[in-house]
Amino acid sequence: MAEAEAARRVANPIQVLGRSTLAAVRMVGSVGVFAVRGVAAALTPPWFLSQLWRQIVAIGFFSLPVVGLTAVFTGAALALNIFTGGGRFNAEQVMPQIVALGITRELGPVLAALMLAGRVSAAIAAEIGAMRATEQIDAMRTLSTDPFRYLVGPRLLAGVLMLPLLTAVADTIGVAGGWLVATRVLEFSPTIYIRNTLDFLQAWDVVSGLIKAAVFGFIVALMGCYHGYNASGGARGVGRATTHAVVSSAILIFASDYLLTTFFTHAAQ
Amino acid sequence: MGVVVLALAAGFLTYSLSVGGVATKRGNYEISAKFGEAGSLAPGAAVSVAGVKVGTVSQVTLEPKTYLAVAKLSIDPTVKLPADSTAKITSDGLLGGAHIAIAPGAALDDLKPGGEIENTQGAVDIFGLIGSVIRPQGGASSDAAASSTPAPANPATQPAESY
Amino acid sequence: MTEAIPKLAWKGVTKRFDGRAVLDGLDLSVAPGKSLVIIGGSGQGKSVTIKTALGLMRPEAGKIELDGKNVVGLSEGARRKLFSRVGVLFQGAALFDSLTVWENVAFRLINADGVPRKEARERAIEALDQVRLAPAVADRFPSELSGGMQKRAGLARAVVARPEILFFDEPTTGLDPITAAAINQLISDQVRRLGSTAVSITHDLASAQTIGDEIAMLHDGRIIWRGPAAELRTTGNPYVRQFVEGRAEGPISHAV
Repeated sequence: MAEAEAARRVANPIQVLGRSTLAAVRMVGSVGVFAVRGVAAALTPPWFLSQLWRQIVAIGFFSLPVVGLTAVFTGAALALNIFTGGGRFNAEQVMPQIVALGITRELGPVLAALMLAGRVSAAIAAEIGAMRATEQIDAMRTLSTDPFRYLVGPRLLAGVLMLPLLTAVADTIGVAGGWLVATRVLEFSPTIYIRNTLDFLQAWDVVSGLIKAAVFGFIVALMGCYHGYNASGGARGVGRATTHAVVSSAILIFASDYLLTTFFTHAAQ
Repeated sequence: MGVVVLALAAGFLTYSLSVGGVATKRGNYEISAKFGEAGSLAPGAAVSVAGVKVGTVSQVTLEPKTYLAVAKLSIDPTVKLPADSTAKITSDGLLGGAHIAIAPGAALDDLKPGGEIENTQGAVDIFGLIGSVIRPQGGASSDAAASSTPAPANPATQPAESY
Repeated sequence: MTEAIPKLAWKGVTKRFDGRAVLDGLDLSVAPGKSLVIIGGSGQGKSVTIKTALGLMRPEAGKIELDGKNVVGLSEGARRKLFSRVGVLFQGAALFDSLTVWENVAFRLINADGVPRKEARERAIEALDQVRLAPAVADRFPSELSGGMQKRAGLARAVVARPEILFFDEPTTGLDPITAAAINQLISDQVRRLGSTAVSITHDLASAQTIGDEIAMLHDGRIIWRGPAAELRTTGNPYVRQFVEGRAEGPISHAV
């Protein structure tokens, strides 16, 4: 008897490891299938244009304040830090260029995406999760309407289209934040700061940031839709779905950011 | 609120483009200049007259027969340059990027689109200069800038020549 | 008498959740134009019965035949065509929160049938009138309506496209007796008006007897009794007796 107990206790960690690995693989597959269905729904007719418009406004326009605030404070803080760092090489004068590079290539897209992960991904998961819990998704299917076309497709498209635009705004306002600090606090010349920034920035700096933003936008919308669609267990399930959506969006944003940055760095050479 | 953010972004952007100068590339005319040493001059670098940006470098290529660096300059159409102007590759201090400064000449004719600036001076090689100052004496030179600052990425070739 | 093809039939349907067989070889059929009510204890699988018929859940075994043709495992596209022939009233009405009442009622017309919005709105208001909701309700949002009004709007949404089969999932649960009676009456009126086949699930006996031509009782994944509505209270079947009399003791023990 005691031996059987001991054997069970040893087997358990292995079981747990095996189970969680299988669960992870299953989840990757599940998300993959969901993503393919969502993309197919987004890219083929029939489209629900009114739904798409609603999502564009919800994701794009209403995220502007939070993205703007994030960008201006980040740009300002970054400027101060790069100035300090540059000062150790007597190279304070390059601060505008480095700040612009950092914002357009990395901080603009990533921070905008993270703010959207918190705001948009959670909202999508909550809304679709609540619909799932109250049988609205089943009802929609019985009304001969594909929930992937009506709910998921428009959100995916809106995410991919809007986050680059939001990032462009974030880039501009981020540089403006750096400029404000530089001109008011660090005594840079306003026009020289801007001239140096514009002369230094290459199109690819900005464009690579926007491509990243499109990928991040897809991730944010996908995670919100996936976790909401598969929510189970009533109100608690909806809450869980919201949390999972935000956390998984954030993790995927960081991971894909690293992959894309590596790819872009090599591609440019 | 979103409208405010968009307005602020748009405002800053237009301000930047107007300050950054030469906001639109339309209407610019092209001239060229040949240098013995281009240094770190790259497309997008500024072209200025009396310190004011009047255009950009649109291309830097090697002329195969003469081994000279040919720079194509895209100039603001409102700026006319006398035919005997001088073009010099210079930089804003040790870490500033290389750009072209044009000193206007006194000729009555202006450079036409497609024309060439005859009088040029190529990029100055800092390492070469420091080396030639240090090497003969075997000691530290007082002319060279602080050695702890990293110099711009100039190839350590022979000192610049005027063309 | 020749056996007419039933409108809807479950044949040997088995559905498991976590190893437990909620439906275990279910055999049931509904004749065209007739109204069947399925009763049974909570957690017995009544909702699952409807959901498998609708294709919202897939059974592990068995066939479900609509007009004699098996509909288990259909592709999404084929199923969407089937859906155009059914109307469903879900347990909480399942109205879409972000749309107005008329947009809910006209949802199928606008989004699946391509009806222009103006005409769809007129038909929606007509349907609302059928369930005795005033036109003023049309522009309100579902969250502004009472439970009973939401159910009526849900019913209007189910019948607006004149479906061949109607499904009702616990239509009177959570309603006060008077509202429940009104809903029962409306359901029975609509079913008769449209000549549809109807399948309802409920544990409200008054509802069962008002709506149903026939009643079937589901227990342990199978149908253990079936008969005309009038026989519900007179049958000797012990399970039915315990259910009708509302006794805690009897052959039905609560394992859930």
